[in-house]
Amino acid sequence: MPCRGSAGEPARAEAEAAGARRQDLVQIRRKHEQSRRSFLAEGALAVAAVAGSSACETTAKFHAHYKELSDEDKKQLFARLEAEVLSRSGVKVKIRDPKPMDGVEFAYALDLTLCNGNRRCAEACARENNLPDEPKFRYIQVVEMNRGTIDFEGGNHYYEHDQVPVKGKVYFPVQCQHCENPPCCKVCPVEATWKEPDGLVVVDYDWCIGCRYCIAACPYYGRRFNFAEPTIRPSRINPDQGYLSNRLRPVGVVEKCTFCLHRTREGRYPACLEACPTGARKFGNLLDPNGEVRVIIERKRVFVLKEELGTLPRFFYFYG
Amino acid sequence: MISRRPVACLVAFLALGCHQPERHRGDVEGPKQDPETAKVEPRTQFLVTYPCSAKCHSKRNTNAQQRQLVEFHSQRNKELHHGDSKAWCYQCHSETNIDRLVLPNGSQVSFDEAHLLCGSCHGDKLRDWKLAVHGKTMGHWRGEQIRRSCTACHNPHNPPFGKLEPEHGPVPPQKAGKM
Repeated sequence: MPCRGSAGEPARAEAEAAGARRQDLVQIRRKHEQSRRSFLAEGALAVAAVAGSSACETTAKFHAHYKELSDEDKKQLFARLEAEVLSRSGVKVKIRDPKPMDGVEFAYALDLTLCNGNRRCAEACARENNLPDEPKFRYIQVVEMNRGTIDFEGGNHYYEHDQVPVKGKVYFPVQCQHCENPPCCKVCPVEATWKEPDGLVVVDYDWCIGCRYCIAACPYYGRRFNFAEPTIRPSRINPDQGYLSNRLRPVGVVEKCTFCLHRTREGRYPACLEACPTGARKFGNLLDPNGEVRVIIERKRVFVLKEELGTLPRFFYFYG
Repeated sequence: MISRRPVACLVAFLALGCHQPERHRGDVEGPKQDPETAKVEPRTQFLVTYPCSAKCHSKRNTNAQQRQLVEFHSQRNKELHHGDSKAWCYQCHSETNIDRLVLPNGSQVSFDEAHLLCGSCHGDKLRDWKLAVHGKTMGHWRGEQIRRSCTACHNPHNPPFGKLEPEHGPVPPQKAGKM
């Protein structure tokens, strides 16, 4: 029976190799467990030391989740954050917390025939939302694709040209789509990101633990992570800040487009819309029958990105 | 979290013609925007040579004869890429009052109401512009709005939107790694 014998040899070798791998894994697991325990012990000591030295510092580092803050807590917290910015960069900022409006659900529409890829929107967004000079990233990603396609994999958002639009190319801006069924909020292990009643998906930057599950879950690459300490020139800091939108973020948290909620919840347009020179961007209340976006949805050929995923984006693209 | 009616349902709802505005919360609460009442940004304040009758045209009479323009308008004449080759000044500018535009029906409108003239050919764009679907709107999505007229973005003598220098893009990953 030569056949059976030759089949048995590799099988035995494989089983032995698997056993060795299992042993290795057990060793690694034990090592990790030890280092985790020592880390926790050190952490507990550090917390005890901080608590002992100054109660004030403890509250500075750990405060309740946004949804659990009372008005008085918010007042104190915002005052402390404002003082921190003042001492760090010498800029007097005002942090507010505008509330969702009744009977309003925000929606965005973008006319792809008009967008010419000039990136004014991304730049205005960066200025409005205090995006750092270094590392440089943008909430709005304008993807350049060949005319006649919507091919994101073959597209390029790093394009640099003297003049746009380039012949034979089309431009497709993508930002947070503020989905009705947001996968990013489902995966957050600490509920640091959630959906507001007016449809905006927001992040509590002080509650975010930086695990980046939400970035992995977002099918639109709508979220950004502060890999390095964000640095911004004091002259560029926008003093009109919202707690859930454009206040200065620390390193190691996730941030994203909030439809400029500190502006839009007061009736103003988002910064990207105001900056767009072609008038491709439209913003309004989905529940208002005369609202710009409602009119577009009713009259134009709109579509949403990756409809098949069932995320129900609030960001509609159309060809005017 | 209480689930609300998904957007897709709303879209389908509207597409099927089952539109019942009185059922939407937005109808009863707060002031709404009305596209018809939005202000149009006046254009004449930005026109360097306006009023034409007080500047160059104070010295000369109107010559309706179609011809090659050689003086001030020579550049403009070169740039006239709008409509067919028979396009001529007085199809749009008034012969009797050079500070006014003239509609195809003969009535005169000011330079601030250029959208009425443009819309007499481009009716679909005027319709969209009135609904704030086409063109740039500034101000507030709820509250006072200012609409830009056609000629704020389109040169009426050469209408396609011009090319622009783009802002810089994000740093590609291999360069970002060197930080």
